[in-house]
Amino acid sequence: MSLPESRYLAQRLLSCEADASKNSETSESATLRVCAKLRQPLITLAGVAGFRSLLSRALALAMVEVPSLGGVQVAADGSLQGLDDLELQIDKDQAREAGVILIAQLIALLLTFIGEGLTLRMVQDVWPEAAFDGRVSEMENKA
Amino acid sequence: MSTADKVRINKLPTGVPGLDEILGGGLPEFSFNIIAGAPGSGKTTLAHQIMFANATPEHPALYFTILGEPAIKMLRYQQQYTFFDQAKLNRAVRFINLSQVVLEKDLDAVLEEITKEVEKASPGIVVVDSFRTVVRKALGGSTEVELQSFIQRLALLLTSWQATTFLVGEYVEGEIRDNPVFTVSDGLLWLYQAPERNSIVRKLQIVKLRGQASVPGLHTFRITPDGLQAFSRTLGLAGQARKIPSRRRLSIGIPELDKMLGGGIPQGDSVLVAGASGTGKSVLATQFIAEGIRQGDPGIVVVFEERPQEYAERAGSFGLDLKTPRHDGKLEILYLRPLDLSVDETMHEILAAVQKIGAKRLVIDSLAGFEMALAPGFRADFRESLYRMITALTGIGVTILSTVEVNESFTEFPFSTYSISFLTDDIIRLRYVCIDGQLRKIMVVIKMRGGNHSKDIREYEITSKGVVIIGERLTDYQGLITGIPERLNRSGNNEERPHKVKAKSKS
Repeated sequence: MSLPESRYLAQRLLSCEADASKNSETSESATLRVCAKLRQPLITLAGVAGFRSLLSRALALAMVEVPSLGGVQVAADGSLQGLDDLELQIDKDQAREAGVILIAQLIALLLTFIGEGLTLRMVQDVWPEAAFDGRVSEMENKA
Repeated sequence: MSTADKVRINKLPTGVPGLDEILGGGLPEFSFNIIAGAPGSGKTTLAHQIMFANATPEHPALYFTILGEPAIKMLRYQQQYTFFDQAKLNRAVRFINLSQVVLEKDLDAVLEEITKEVEKASPGIVVVDSFRTVVRKALGGSTEVELQSFIQRLALLLTSWQATTFLVGEYVEGEIRDNPVFTVSDGLLWLYQAPERNSIVRKLQIVKLRGQASVPGLHTFRITPDGLQAFSRTLGLAGQARKIPSRRRLSIGIPELDKMLGGGIPQGDSVLVAGASGTGKSVLATQFIAEGIRQGDPGIVVVFEERPQEYAERAGSFGLDLKTPRHDGKLEILYLRPLDLSVDETMHEILAAVQKIGAKRLVIDSLAGFEMALAPGFRADFRESLYRMITALTGIGVTILSTVEVNESFTEFPFSTYSISFLTDDIIRLRYVCIDGQLRKIMVVIKMRGGNHSKDIREYEITSKGVVIIGERLTDYQGLITGIPERLNRSGNNEERPHKVKAKSKS
């Protein structure tokens, strides 16, 4: 799976969370919610240190495309810090694009390390309501 | 107590071909086991294989990872094996990282975390990888009694929750004596990996297994894309009754030689055909197998020095059609790729082929090639290995013809460089002889365990029909087996030797 495909998947996840937030009173950004939801299974699998390493690497890769992410940090427990502040400073579309790129990089790392099958299974477990049937490339074509 | 009163211990399949037989039927259910070995010996792969073979959504497997191989990398590599079923992940198989708990807390916290997950999932299989890490951490801040208490409580918890457990760890043999883990465990599987000159030899041992009899000793195993494959020292034939051969005589495909053998080779015998290079050992072996096929006996030829296609084509040049029976499933020509083989692996392939086509005849061409195909570490045990192989095969009624090249000597008459003639029932010796200015060939039946045989020394040729015995026994010469005979003068005086042949020095 290429980066465009992981980008497509990131967009899907962010959309899921954006839709979900409409039905709830949370003010947390979709990017933070996606990260938090991915954090739990990844910590179970790889430990806090493992998740933190992955997210830090994803952030570093995303910063190449979105330098403003430089103000964001990964805390010791694996949570993202500073993203809320960044989203207040830039416009909505830019904030969404930054989120897509960060999540896409995290997914791309998972795809690199554990492959498409296991990554999609994990994502499906976290977002059971979303239809992630088949390969991402196929989903993209269907969409 | 009668057999009916005893508790029945279910045996779980390991998912590792050959290992269940070594374990005495499988892994005892609810047992508490250790998989030990050096780094790279295959411990994690074995644990995964067992886990994927047994995990179901109803009885899932929990795989606790602790500070060893990062779980992400473990998944990355383990999914390359064919046994890794992605569909089971997070349904029947769950990976849980306990590194943080081990690093930051004490043994009680580790046990508490494991207990929480076990009570939540009610697993059938639990793996802790690496348990050695837990022990190392524990020894840093706990007493040995505390460690033993932890291990006992862990064993009690997991057994009470009806889980079959595997603690994976890097141990060295000296630790068996003092380590409480080994005392508490029901089973101890030890994996070895040792370099032997340029080869790697992998072996496993069931050091301990409560409740059932495993096959003792070291068993070779290999790691392939399908995971581990074990090769039992008993070759999977443990407990099988030895077939009593019918003593039917099998034609070798050379009528005159059949007569010399007293009517053919007794079924179930092991025959050695020994001779120098070019004396026709392989041709004779091919005639034996081809004759069997003609008579309805499926056969197997094990070759080490040429490819099956080449072997079949060479047989064709002697008018022996091996291509048709190969196509019809009556003949298998096994080319066992050279280097790094263990005898047990070879045997496994041969036995599988024997069972597949119901083979009655087997040719091993040649023992020298066989020896060269083995990893250097196994060559030292070649005689013992041959003994096990021949006993196993003849035990299931297969008649074996092996060829062996001997250095031609004009001072002695060796049968084999391996001193293995004691393994064979019958020996046919081929040799060169210098007669009338020609290098001709003679054969003689040296030994037949099953009965009388001709004592004649007969001349033969290799023609387009294969080995053909010509003429009657050679009565005009003395000292034929020396290779430099003297023509007998029937009037009483021996003629001078026709040629002065310089005796070869023994090499």
